[in-house]
Amino acid sequence: MTIDVLIFGPAASAAGSDRLRVRFADGESPSAGEVLAALAREHPDVGFALGGARLAVNQAFAAAETRIVAGDEVALIALVGGG
Amino acid sequence: MTVLARIVGGAVTPACEAGVFARGEGIGAAVRFEGIVRRMEGEREIVALDYQTYDPMAERRLKELAGEIAARHGLRGIAAIHGRGRVAVGEVSFVLWVAAAHRAEALAAVEEFIDRLKRDVPIWKIPVWK
Repeated sequence: MTIDVLIFGPAASAAGSDRLRVRFADGESPSAGEVLAALAREHPDVGFALGGARLAVNQAFAAAETRIVAGDEVALIALVGGG
Repeated sequence: MTVLARIVGGAVTPACEAGVFARGEGIGAAVRFEGIVRRMEGEREIVALDYQTYDPMAERRLKELAGEIAARHGLRGIAAIHGRGRVAVGEVSFVLWVAAAHRAEALAAVEEFIDRLKRDVPIWKIPVWK
């Protein structure tokens, strides 16, 4: 299973892209926490943005144990700074 | 109690605020806060900030946050308007208006709202360097 994680702001600038791909075994349904760990492992260029980062799944903040299934919209919410 | 939250294209202008600041007999304190793009970002000069939003979550979270803060502080009204896209130095990127019976809860609500905005609403700002 591959998951494309939408990224924004400084993370997107560092990656030069608006999404990052992480891979899991076929049939696996990883948790949000596992996706964050995979981002850190597979994309060290955005590691600076992962401290305190959360995932949004289908446009809502997801708890670390939330399971992600095919078709979910997954976004990295890190280093926000409105105002 | 009125709760309003919206994200607008570019800077927040007076036209964006039209009709937002309702008054009522129970209101004894109203606070309007505006965030302005400043010229210096640390030691470097910028010409603008590009505000990026994750839509539609950003506007929904802005509205949920406004509702939570209004309930927590017993506000009579709250309105939050945030810009999206390029906002030049000196322009307004964010306006928050709160109305309450007394000033203490109005001022506390402003402080808490802005702290949580910077944590819980998916909006990013990217400097446009001079």
